[in-house]
Amino acid sequence: MELEPHSRVAIIGGGPAGSMTAYFLMDLARRIDLEIEVDLFEPRDFSLTGPPGCNMCGGVISESLVQKLAISGIHLPNDVLMDTIDAYTLHTDQSHVRIRAASEEMRIACIFRGGGPKGAETQKPLPWQAFDHYLLELARQHGINRIPKRVKKLDWDGDRPRVSWGEGEMRTYDLLVGAVGLNGSGMSMFEELNFGYRPPKYAKSYIAELYFGSREVEQRLGKSMHIFLLNIPRLKFLALTPKGPYATLVVLGDEIDKAMLEQIFRAPEMVGCLPPGWQIPVQTCQCQPRIHIGPPRHPFADRIVMVGDCSSSRLFKDGIGAAYKLAKACAYTAVVHGISKKAFQRYFAPACRELDYDNLLGRVMFFMDDHMRPFSSIQETLIECIRQEQNDPASPGKLSNAMWDTFSGSASYRTILANTASPRVIHHFLTTFFRRLLA
Amino acid sequence: MLFNRRKTSLGKTFQSGEIIVKQYDPPGSMFIILEGRVEIWVDDGGKEPFLVAVLEKDNVFGGISLYDNSPRISTARALGVVRVLSVNKRGFLQWLGEDPTFALRILLKMSERIRTLIAQLVSLRREVRELRQKVARIR
Ligand SMILES: Cc1cc2nc3c(=O)[nH]c(=O)nc-3n(C[C@H](O)[C@H](O)[C@H](O)COP(=O)(O)OP(=O)(O)OC[C@H]3O[C@@H](n4cnc5c(N)ncnc54)[C@H](O)[C@@H]3O)c2cc1C
Repeated sequence: MELEPHSRVAIIGGGPAGSMTAYFLMDLARRIDLEIEVDLFEPRDFSLTGPPGCNMCGGVISESLVQKLAISGIHLPNDVLMDTIDAYTLHTDQSHVRIRAASEEMRIACIFRGGGPKGAETQKPLPWQAFDHYLLELARQHGINRIPKRVKKLDWDGDRPRVSWGEGEMRTYDLLVGAVGLNGSGMSMFEELNFGYRPPKYAKSYIAELYFGSREVEQRLGKSMHIFLLNIPRLKFLALTPKGPYATLVVLGDEIDKAMLEQIFRAPEMVGCLPPGWQIPVQTCQCQPRIHIGPPRHPFADRIVMVGDCSSSRLFKDGIGAAYKLAKACAYTAVVHGISKKAFQRYFAPACRELDYDNLLGRVMFFMDDHMRPFSSIQETLIECIRQEQNDPASPGKLSNAMWDTFSGSASYRTILANTASPRVIHHFLTTFFRRLLA
Repeated sequence: MLFNRRKTSLGKTFQSGEIIVKQYDPPGSMFIILEGRVEIWVDDGGKEPFLVAVLEKDNVFGGISLYDNSPRISTARALGVVRVLSVNKRGFLQWLGEDPTFALRILLKMSERIRTLIAQLVSLRREVRELRQKVARIR
């Protein structure tokens, strides 16, 4: 079962996973002179502001993903970059420390996934472009056919998948790629195709775009992403990322509600990052997207494969990097090895497995963090160790690097654990811990 | 309310004529051209270095010392304003192992370069042959 000249491929969803799959499919097929037809279905207009034009996310792209994309021919243009950052600031309830990038060029890209926060449409034209818009256009330039419609139904036409959209339009394809993400009902259409697919586990999150104005963003946040390890019940992760005139607030946790948000905005370390006298605005661009927390079941079959968030992803970080990884593995398998279940099992599944296994380690790390938060002495020791590393130019900065990789998603959880579990780091941590205790 | 973005870009910018890497320097990162053009010069001990290639956007240079860990074999100089992204050495080798299409892309870029180099070699040989014939005739 292979892609042949004039084979038809349908990609459902034009987020990063769908657009990158389309791009890599066209790129690879061209290299072996294989002419295929790719239809990509995406109803969203990524130039619209607010939730209708946006695939809600924190919008942080690690420096290593920036490099991988560039080698793959995907160069983020300047107008996609809302900001670039070269540091992380780690805040606890009582103090903070800044972790600088190991080199000047390790810059992380901060992007918007849609046309911009709700309210920005009053200014025309806006000086930026959505990341998802750029990727979709790139795929289009490589010869795919974008159909700006929502797919309504999927079924089988003999042994081939059939896609229905609009007013009774339908078409049969040789290969169907699911890239529908976690938000919306796209995943259930694939479940109903009865090839064994079960969607991944997910949780709710919260994102808000806070308008400070560029001067205040620069002054309060600088070129740094701010991560808060606050001892607030049910709170797992909290970050503030500079994006031009906005600060993007990302909250992960169980049952994020108004009370939790109020507690967050009252925390002294958070107040230090807000403009003086700043109040939670009544009308702000906010959303509660689903975040990936567990693997799917059977994400492929003969002539079907799932990529991106509706397949395997990385726990709490680098979702776009995971989408890139699966998009590439999917395109490579389909063009070079075929579109049978066997081919996907052999060449696509390892990429999924690598993400799934790595997340098990990630889960252990988050579990430890969760249970250590109430013990402020452990956190403060961590901050102290990082501070010492940052102040010592001769230090290899193992802990700092591990933190950098954890937040940016530059490295797998396995690499991070391997780096932190070194005798040197443990020794440094314990001596600092006991020194603080005695003092 | 003003909606602007921070004037920023990825990679590092070089002004026209600035040296990006220098021949004989110890090996280091590989670079991808994000914007502009880069000249590749080789110093063979003659009077002046000579130009071997002008590379455009999306091209890769500085890769050879990454594979064989030897000093830089040529000098890369900005032709006009250039923006390049350096690629982490260890990361790159790791990614090569994980992702066969990386190697494919680099191979394609390298084969394009080999193609031009061979074309240059062929025309050089032709020139040498013609010169030899001229010298023989004069004699
Ligand atoms: C709070 C939060 C913060 C995050 N922060 C980051 C971050 O900083 N960095 C990072 O790398 N990742 C981050 N992520 C993860 C990231 O958002 C996802 O991993 C990424 O969006 C996955 O891309 P995707 O293409 O699979 O899905 P999506 O981006 O969700 O795209 C799916 C697309 O499918 C389309 N679609 C759905 N149904 C249909 C249909 N029936 N017909 C046609 N089209 C359809 C939708 O319109 C949508 O455009 C974050 C996620 C959350 C929840």
